Amino acid sequence: MFMLMIGLILFIAIIGFSLSDRKELTWPEKFLKDTSGYVQQWFYKPAGSIAGFFEDLRNLRTVYEENEQLRLMAAAYARDKVEYNFVKKENERLQKDLNFTEQQKRMNDYNYLIAHVISVSNDANNRTMNINLGSKHGIKPNMAVTTVDGLVGLVSSVTPFTSTITPITELSEESPTNGSIAATIQGREDESFGILSSYNKETGRLVMTRIAETDKMEIGDTVITSGLGGIYPRGIRVGTVETKEVGDFGLTYTASVKLFTSFDHLTEVFVVQPSESEEQAE
Amino acid sequence: MSMNRIVSIMLLLFVLEGALMPWIIPDGFGDRIIPHFIFVIVIYSALYGNRHLALMLGAGFGLLQDVVYYGHLLGLHFFTMGLIGYFTGVLLERKRATVMMAITIIGFACLLYDTSLFYIYKVFRITDSSYAWALLHYILPSLFLQLAFALACYIPVRRMFESRGKTAMDGDEE
Repeated sequence: MFMLMIGLILFIAIIGFSLSDRKELTWPEKFLKDTSGYVQQWFYKPAGSIAGFFEDLRNLRTVYEENEQLRLMAAAYARDKVEYNFVKKENERLQKDLNFTEQQKRMNDYNYLIAHVISVSNDANNRTMNINLGSKHGIKPNMAVTTVDGLVGLVSSVTPFTSTITPITELSEESPTNGSIAATIQGREDESFGILSSYNKETGRLVMTRIAETDKMEIGDTVITSGLGGIYPRGIRVGTVETKEVGDFGLTYTASVKLFTSFDHLTEVFVVQPSESEEQAE
Repeated sequence: MSMNRIVSIMLLLFVLEGALMPWIIPDGFGDRIIPHFIFVIVIYSALYGNRHLALMLGAGFGLLQDVVYYGHLLGLHFFTMGLIGYFTGVLLERKRATVMMAITIIGFACLLYDTSLFYIYKVFRITDSSYAWALLHYILPSLFLQLAFALACYIPVRRMFESRGKTAMDGDEE
């Protein structure tokens, strides 16, 4: 009984400490995380490449079709690139004419850092991942993390050589530890708006709330981050709209969003680093 | 077997659990089959070692897991793993459990472990799913993995803890 009492007191003290709003980890935590991260990266990457080899063999058949599709996409990309260069030049000229400050111009310049996943948490309600880049490489808490498919999550804590990602599947409105994401629809960036507020574990879909009644959002549309709200950068693909219905109070709509990213067997992720001048302004 | 050996084997297992197991579990089952190998070893240490050893290993490796995979809370695995290990030891450390009995106890301990984790997360509102769903979605599927692992490592782990008990006792006699 004595054991139980001491355990309980210690447990509540530690939980209280971890729930408090702290900016940085303590040094024992950093040391433990760095050490285990250093060892774990020897195992995760080789295991991944062996598994990847067998997956490649299995996918050999679909490679031809995929190649065909990629060729079509490359052609479309080449067309768009010409258009993009024109628009970019035009935009730069206009920004100059309107006297944009250096900070405003650089607001949507992002730098992508490639990181490797080194371990995945084995707790069903806390599916964090560790990556092999840390504060020594310029990672800071609250940076967004993506893969080539779409948004993965946020960097939640940083040590000198590793950092921990909290995936968007941990997103919850009621939870004390996680915020929401402002989102919009690809192709109608200035007309649509919604807030990705929580992840429904039972259906495996993100819930998008506060969509205006007049919004022309349709099923199958691609949801991207809007960059409003400051934490997540602009234009990261999240998923597709699957259902749309009237929300709790009948004034706004709620949609469910199917994610692009699969969280199993992740290897390479990209950490989105905002450009330097923006950080200085903060 | 010395304490150092046991701890270093468990450290290796901890590393493999986080770095290798995600690749062995088939694609799409990543959030359904969740390994708790360290916990299985902690229960073995309670059965074939003693309750203080189980408490120490459970609390130590629980804290390690809390810190390395820190997302919402600290101290959760530290508390549940240590406590369940200790009480398994209090109940059963004097009985020399047979293989069937050990597997059954590990099964129930895993259920208890996952259930208490679920309810602590529920209290802090980190999860909002229902217990019935959690039970079917990940607790029961991962239970099979834990049992398979427990069965596979029964002989070496039992030998490891019993030989440690014996050397400790010899040391006392001297």
